[in-house]
Amino acid sequence: MFKGFYTVASGMLAQQRRTEILTNNMANANTPGFKADQSTIRSFPDMMMSAIKSTNIPTEKGLGIKTANPIGALNTGVYLQETIADYTQGSLRASDLKTDVALVDGQLPVDEASGNKGAIYFRLEHPSGGEAYTRNGNFTLDGQGNLVNGQGLYVLSNTGQRIQLANDNISITETGAILDENGVQVATLGVSFAANPDILMKQDNGLFRMLDNGVLPSAYGQDGVVFATKQNFLESSNVDASRSMTELMTAYRAFEANQKVLQAYDRSMEKAANEIGKV
Amino acid sequence: MLRTMLTATNTLTQLQSQLDNISNNIANSSTHGYKAKEAQFSELLYQQFNNDKLDKTLRQSPVGIRYGVGAHISQIQANQKQGSLQTTDRDLDFAFTKENQYFNILMPEGEGQRTVYTRQGDFYVSPIANGQVMLVNGDGYPVADSNGNEIYFPDFATDFTLSPEGQLSVHYANGQVLPFNLAVSELQKPQAMEHVSGTYIGLPANLVELGLTQADILTDLQGTARSEIGLQIRTLEMSNVDLSKEMTDLIATQRSYQFNTRAVTIADQMLGLINGIR
Repeated sequence: MFKGFYTVASGMLAQQRRTEILTNNMANANTPGFKADQSTIRSFPDMMMSAIKSTNIPTEKGLGIKTANPIGALNTGVYLQETIADYTQGSLRASDLKTDVALVDGQLPVDEASGNKGAIYFRLEHPSGGEAYTRNGNFTLDGQGNLVNGQGLYVLSNTGQRIQLANDNISITETGAILDENGVQVATLGVSFAANPDILMKQDNGLFRMLDNGVLPSAYGQDGVVFATKQNFLESSNVDASRSMTELMTAYRAFEANQKVLQAYDRSMEKAANEIGKV
Repeated sequence: MLRTMLTATNTLTQLQSQLDNISNNIANSSTHGYKAKEAQFSELLYQQFNNDKLDKTLRQSPVGIRYGVGAHISQIQANQKQGSLQTTDRDLDFAFTKENQYFNILMPEGEGQRTVYTRQGDFYVSPIANGQVMLVNGDGYPVADSNGNEIYFPDFATDFTLSPEGQLSVHYANGQVLPFNLAVSELQKPQAMEHVSGTYIGLPANLVELGLTQADILTDLQGTARSEIGLQIRTLEMSNVDLSKEMTDLIATQRSYQFNTRAVTIADQMLGLINGIR
């Protein structure tokens, strides 16, 4: 009866999802290495509409010709299609802990197929096999002296090995070399490179993973990839609080506008049901 | 709709914990030998919604949308940085000048006692039987020597001196000198230590279950290794809390708290709109 009835409902749902994503961004405004999620809203696939009518030609037998005049395209709603992380570099925050490391993007090549800039990550061993990647360099040592992240996942070296240290009296050079207290190199911090970061999926605790446990190539020696590892620094989250708040308000008002249209439809329906043909 | 609210409330409780942690640091900003604790956040679970399995439009990311439900404190780490030294000119005040070195304190626990570690070096003498005194810390717990025993000596000492190797010499009016080696442990992995109370840390109670031994975590400095000790007498180590950093963190955390409460308000108003459709 009213095509737009469910269209506004889908609009409300999409705006609701947007507020959910924006709230998660704001909640993670203090999380080191967090990359803000951006959402794309897309309309439902176009629907072709035609006016169907039949013309009666007054002949002996009564000939009826059915015609369909195209009216135009209409789409009947919107949905939240994708969540894509914004990979811009977060600001660096000094820390007193020797096991805190920040990745600083230097120059990263732009992927020709997708038009996205590449991204670099720390390499972690995932308990379910394969590797996980993260930008959160808030590491610590476990009892055996392995370098681990906050959830106890092992940090991997550039050769894919766990990094075992005698104590946390280490220094990490800008090129990722981990030196012990005597200045002897123990390992090189593993850094991986994704040419198109959009193919990675975000998971809990700042992990990024490839589909089907895929593995990213190392960033060392990769053509055109320039980066630095900064010890005693953490990369702050790249959430812009004021922009998130503004977007949250926009989403809220869009939600409200949809609600108002829904009410208008409801009043039209009320009229149709109760006032047409009133006796 | 509730997801917005849940995300914000999940995070609010964690921000509250961070505020607690910051206020504890500020409260201990003049506790001798206190090491600042730093809380860092991490993302909570991500949930995937397969919203458009049938949609064949081109997209940049793998199918489905993924979004999280807030942030939580991933770990609270102790900052082992050296605190500044305060000269007190009191005979039994000691301060370490090297990071990760700790005194051994014999803390009574149940029937027996437990060795705990601290950098708080304000010691006292406590009289016991036969005119002897025992070296104790501010809580009255005995300070251990390098063999793990309590330190006794006769009362009425005239002077205390300390050698660079951490040997405490007690001098008497008749020229007698009694030497004691103060126990000093160097922590290799302070991350694995358990916070007991006050400025005390101890070996974790589940050390064996973790598959660790004491030697993995710390080394008791004995014999020639005692030359590595950096200990000073008549000084105390101040807490390493950086007040300006804590205050900045406090403001930032409070603002985050406000942002998240605002999200709850907005979610509530959206629920109101849904209620107000009809």
